[in-house]
Amino acid sequence: MTYFIAQILPYITVTVFIIGVIYRLWRWAASRIVHNITLSPFPQTKTEVAAIYLREIVLFNNVFKFDRPLWVGAWPMHIALLNVIGGHVVGFYFLGKQFVYLGASEALSTYLSNLLGTVFGIILLAGLLYLLYRRIAIDKVRQVSNPSDYLMLLLLISIVSLGNFMRLVPEYGMHYEPVREYFTTLILFQPAAIPEGNPFFILHLLLAQILIMILPFSKLMHLFGMFGMRWIENRIYKEPAPGLPNVDVAAARARGTGLSSVSGSDVA
Amino acid sequence: MPEYKGLKMPAKASVEDMRRIHIEPVPDDQKVEKAIQYLDEMRKKFRSFVLAMESCVKCGLCAENCHTYLGTRDPNNIPTNRAELIRKIYRRYFTLEGRWFGKLVGAEDLNLDIIEQWYSYFYQCNECRRCAHVCPFGIDTCEVTMIGRQILHWLGIVPKLHADVGAAMERTGNHTGLTKPAIVDTLEFLSEEIKDEFGVDVEFPVDKEGADIMYVPSSADFLLNPYTLMGAGMFFTYIGANWTIPSTITEAGNFGLLFDQQHTMRHNFTRLLHAAQKLGVKKIVWGECGHGWRAWKMYLPGMADLPIRWPITHIHDEVAYYIRTNQLKLDPNKIGRPVTLHDPCNYVRACGMAETLRTVIRACVADFREMYPNKENNFCCGGGSAILFDDPEMYQLRIKFSQKKAEQVRATGVGRDGNGILCAPCSICKAQLYPMVEEHQLGVEVKGLIDLVGMALVWK
Ligand code: HEM
Ligand code: SF4
Ligand code: SF4
Ligand code: SF4
Repeated sequence: MTYFIAQILPYITVTVFIIGVIYRLWRWAASRIVHNITLSPFPQTKTEVAAIYLREIVLFNNVFKFDRPLWVGAWPMHIALLNVIGGHVVGFYFLGKQFVYLGASEALSTYLSNLLGTVFGIILLAGLLYLLYRRIAIDKVRQVSNPSDYLMLLLLISIVSLGNFMRLVPEYGMHYEPVREYFTTLILFQPAAIPEGNPFFILHLLLAQILIMILPFSKLMHLFGMFGMRWIENRIYKEPAPGLPNVDVAAARARGTGLSSVSGSDVA
Repeated sequence: MPEYKGLKMPAKASVEDMRRIHIEPVPDDQKVEKAIQYLDEMRKKFRSFVLAMESCVKCGLCAENCHTYLGTRDPNNIPTNRAELIRKIYRRYFTLEGRWFGKLVGAEDLNLDIIEQWYSYFYQCNECRRCAHVCPFGIDTCEVTMIGRQILHWLGIVPKLHADVGAAMERTGNHTGLTKPAIVDTLEFLSEEIKDEFGVDVEFPVDKEGADIMYVPSSADFLLNPYTLMGAGMFFTYIGANWTIPSTITEAGNFGLLFDQQHTMRHNFTRLLHAAQKLGVKKIVWGECGHGWRAWKMYLPGMADLPIRWPITHIHDEVAYYIRTNQLKLDPNKIGRPVTLHDPCNYVRACGMAETLRTVIRACVADFREMYPNKENNFCCGGGSAILFDDPEMYQLRIKFSQKKAEQVRATGVGRDGNGILCAPCSICKAQLYPMVEEHQLGVEVKGLIDLVGMALVWK
């Protein structure tokens, strides 16, 4: 079983993920933008269009403006998620010494790497638990939820909890080096056995792979969907110039158009 | 009013009504199969629809931002749930996860009950796009509503109101079924009214060949909103324009947008281009109508079968231009009443007109008070997409849908002394709000924007 999870499944996971995402994007691309459905706010320049994308991606502007309680959970959760994903790549690659490039000492870098990992891991978990709470406790959110919406959150919570557990309980902790070794062998297509035989790590790895395989077939595609939708809606639209043909208002007023020859009308 | 398992729904068009708009209703035993086929065609065509089907995260943000949910607290009026009525079918038939995991991911087989649910809830959507405006990803439930209504139309399920208007459009080129003699008569009458009330001579030239400007009013202005038409006539006379109103397309609206974006919508598009060519005009100016302006401005370019040789602008933009360039003399003190503005959704969210409206209204009235939220964030009046049904139960829904609007108007205080004006520069908004301001006892009179321009013009 461990052999399958660690040495075979990763290749299946990557294949399913890549093919799945391409399949979904291809389906989207195959349909067309039939009508002009430009939507407010109406940007007038490319910079303004870019600003809309940026403030929605970086700040979740709409969520902030129209549903503050959602923002309180969703924004920190996403920022933490992004950092955790980034941390996995960078942290393992540099063995926690990435901050050396920013002028820190090796010890300080490792310390920072650990600290950030722990902090973001906890924010991420707290954010997810809060989103789950919302989904269960708030009528309008419960009413829009399918079973898969809960399962997705539970899956994420399990992965993150396992991660946090390994970080916080030293007996079950993982060191950067053996994990990097393991991933290196995977990339070289000579998968080595999983290091240290840590059951929590194996479970973490399994669930993470399930998540990655589900992603192309789930609502997690929203990260691409957002670009697709905004590409259709947030466009520059230019009006034809106002001003009517052969109209000379000053001349018309001098002529007194509309004012009858019969004087004494009661125009104010 | 038809009853179907407790669902609220407007009276349906009969088989004869449907035949008049060239649709042969699909028999019940084939409806499901046909609906799936039409859905397949639509999803292959419309990216906006596919993305709405595939990228919603069910965050629930849109719920409290849709006035239909706020007014009814009916879970199916939450925008994403409205879309879910189709999404669950879409998943079942057109996605791998839906085929494999069914109910777990919210996929369901289509049946007649669900088709009736579509009819009920897609005709409880105002197509106001507030959901799209607020959604973190811009998911446009209006697109889903439109596609739902299109499929229903092909199945032969359309409200009688919409089907009748569709038939009138084809017969006369306008929604109210006005014939040329009726148009000319009414306009002569309005000239007299203007003379009596404002003391100026305004002529409404109909089908005048060689006019420079073709003005396309809403046909509702002839009967329900005469001051809008009078205001437009006064504006064109004031600036000395060589203008005309076409009798073959006396309609700023286009109900095609609301239930059949193919045949019905294109039919009136074609009429417009024919009329413009025949009369030899140089520019087309559009009258007060929210959904209509969206249709003509945004949809015409992609659907016209003929080259569009005329710039088309909205009368509000033209008036605003003459105000900004100081060519109109308007006296804001003539209207001594407090005024608030309802931003028609189609103007502000689909056509970017928020500032134009303010330029005009500020020049016309002295006591202008914003309602909140306003501009792009405004709530719909509850009549959008012409769900102006009179069946008692649907009428009750209209009152609920306009509840948010009533709160907004009340908060401005313009109706406190019973002499306020609620400016709602869109034909459908007006049709909805005339009775609704009474239902909610708001102490305001509903007026268009051009009405106010006409009243504020200083002639000498
Ligand atoms: C581009 C801007 C993005 C926005 C505006 C956004 C917005 C949202 C929102 C509003 C939710 C709903 C939270 C809820 O469940 O109530 C959500 C969920 C989620 N998003 Fe994003 N997201 C974005 C990008 C991303 C990216 C890049 C990722 C992954 C790397 C991601 C992963 C997730 C996950 C895992 C969830 C939780 C799913 C769940 O609730 O089951 N998102 N997102
Ligand atoms: S706001 Fe958008 S993403 Fe959230 S539930 Fe509504 S449609 Fe879905
Ligand atoms: S378009 Fe308007 S009425 Fe329809 S679901 Fe969206 S917010 Fe509600
Ligand atoms: S009727 Fe008026 S307020 Fe309502 S959708 Fe149309 S434009 Fe919007």
